[in-house]
Amino acid sequence: MSSGVITLFKYVFLAVLYLFFLRVLRAVWVELREPKVAPVAAPSATPSAPTQAPRKRRGKGEPTHLRITEPAARRDQTFDLTDELTVGRAPGCGVPLPEDTFTSQLHARVFRRDGDVWVEDLGSTNGTLLNEKKVSAPAVMRRGDRLQVGRTVLELSS
Amino acid sequence: MTALATALPRAPARRRTELGLIVLAVLLVGGLYAIAGLSKAGSLPANIVPFLIGFFAMLLVAHLAMRYLAPNADPILLPTAGLLNGVGYTFIARLSSSEASKQAAWTALGLVAFIVTLAVVRRARDLERYRYLFAFVGIGMLLLPLVPHIGLNINGARLWVHLGPFSFQPGELAKLALAVFFASVMVERADLLSHATRRIGRFLVLDPRYLAPIIAAWGLSLLIFLAENDLGSSFLFFALFIGMLWISTGRTYYLGLGVGLFAAGAFFALRVIHHAQSRVQSWLDPWAHPYSTGFQIIQGQFAIADGSVFGTGPGQSNASHIPYASSDFIFAVVANELGLVGAAALLMGYLLMVGTGLRIALRCERPFEKLLAAGLALILGVQTFVIVGGVTRLIPLTGITLPFVSYGGSSLIANYILLAVLLRISNDTETPMILRESALIDMPSGELREVQA
Repeated sequence: MSSGVITLFKYVFLAVLYLFFLRVLRAVWVELREPKVAPVAAPSATPSAPTQAPRKRRGKGEPTHLRITEPAARRDQTFDLTDELTVGRAPGCGVPLPEDTFTSQLHARVFRRDGDVWVEDLGSTNGTLLNEKKVSAPAVMRRGDRLQVGRTVLELSS
Repeated sequence: MTALATALPRAPARRRTELGLIVLAVLLVGGLYAIAGLSKAGSLPANIVPFLIGFFAMLLVAHLAMRYLAPNADPILLPTAGLLNGVGYTFIARLSSSEASKQAAWTALGLVAFIVTLAVVRRARDLERYRYLFAFVGIGMLLLPLVPHIGLNINGARLWVHLGPFSFQPGELAKLALAVFFASVMVERADLLSHATRRIGRFLVLDPRYLAPIIAAWGLSLLIFLAENDLGSSFLFFALFIGMLWISTGRTYYLGLGVGLFAAGAFFALRVIHHAQSRVQSWLDPWAHPYSTGFQIIQGQFAIADGSVFGTGPGQSNASHIPYASSDFIFAVVANELGLVGAAALLMGYLLMVGTGLRIALRCERPFEKLLAAGLALILGVQTFVIVGGVTRLIPLTGITLPFVSYGGSSLIANYILLAVLLRISNDTETPMILRESALIDMPSGELREVQA
């Protein structure tokens, strides 16, 4: 094969090499242009409001109940939010979890204040996790937030 | 390609991008291999078809593993690493056919290690719990070459371990283990390390207590590196340590401290270590001994200059006489055949990988994973800088591999593991909480205590 053809091949190779990096750069660029909503801070944002304001309140999006997502045995069981809802193993709790041996008798409470829904740990043995973060002081809950108490996971939904 | 893409399981956009890039990378490597064969022997290389199929299959398996194990991870790291790896292979294949078959085997092993890492490390933050295990393993691996009988001295540097037919450099893996250790300790103590709390005379200084375990690990491993006469790794390790300290605290004085400590270390090394003296001399004036100590550097410079802008062309290299052309000096051979344009493309690949690593770190929310990702990106970047800088005579030459391109099994495996951890962190960050149910249920019950009713 003539050296001219091979030289041509070489230039083609170099051109495609740069095409590769161009495509890589494009992949990066596409992601930089469409910053996703930080998934953990605001999970399952309202589809109509991808850039939700932190405290946006809407009649429609107002959280109304807690829904069990784990364990599978009690999945989709819901508890309506009242002014104060206690979570724990004691039968008198608003959300009674008698079979979860990792929850305390009176584990946490979920309550409304100034139009927000709050969660507070009540000195439980294993702690309360809101979106995988330990609740050390009362914390505001938003729609879609996941509350873990022992081995039970509850989701705030409307 | 689209048929292939639809035949595969659930694929987020990122995975489709990745598959497209992998196909392009394989085509590029195949093209390079073919052109090199045509120009050197006038015919296509005999094993080009099995080679391409094998190479594509390996990357495809890694890609499929990603679909299951890290579906939302970054799409450019794996194809870029694959491209560098493949380009490196085509060069090694011409420089030494025996090394080439070994490199192919190492690549396969590297990708197996990549998949195993993704499968075993399901959450990067779990690594934090084993920090002291990682510290011991890291230091143990650094010490391994010093053990008589299994340690091996090659070219004045004692960093090889010989076990039966295998020889490897445990130091490559030690870097990763120690990066995990540094990240976990530094994150925990970031506040203590960034505020002066101890008063000495009129000055408030950092309490040395909090620095002690890090300094100890760093000093020990530096000492080991120096005992093994491996200056490149020693510098890499030092830069990693200072860089991570700087990133975790945000205090610029750690950089100043680093420069100071480095100057002191360099001064000491130049006085005491003969190895270091000759390296610096052949850097400043390679022409003093053009046939001995300066030979490698001079020939490397010739090769780079000969390559000019567009290179002599694949397969046309006359640089195979450079000592260690397939490992330490492979960058000079690439620059010779592909010229400034090709060498710049190679460096662009590293730039993109390091940039992506830092982007993963920026997007990450948990501090441990953030720092670990930054540290891993730092390892990749510093290692590339040290060897490319050495070959181009920007800094004194120290033997270290060019990640993914150089011949060398330990380095390849370690770099693929590094990549897997970066991708794991990336996947964890990008996966929406709602899809992460398993992460919640999997919470080890060891951490929960049964409540006495």
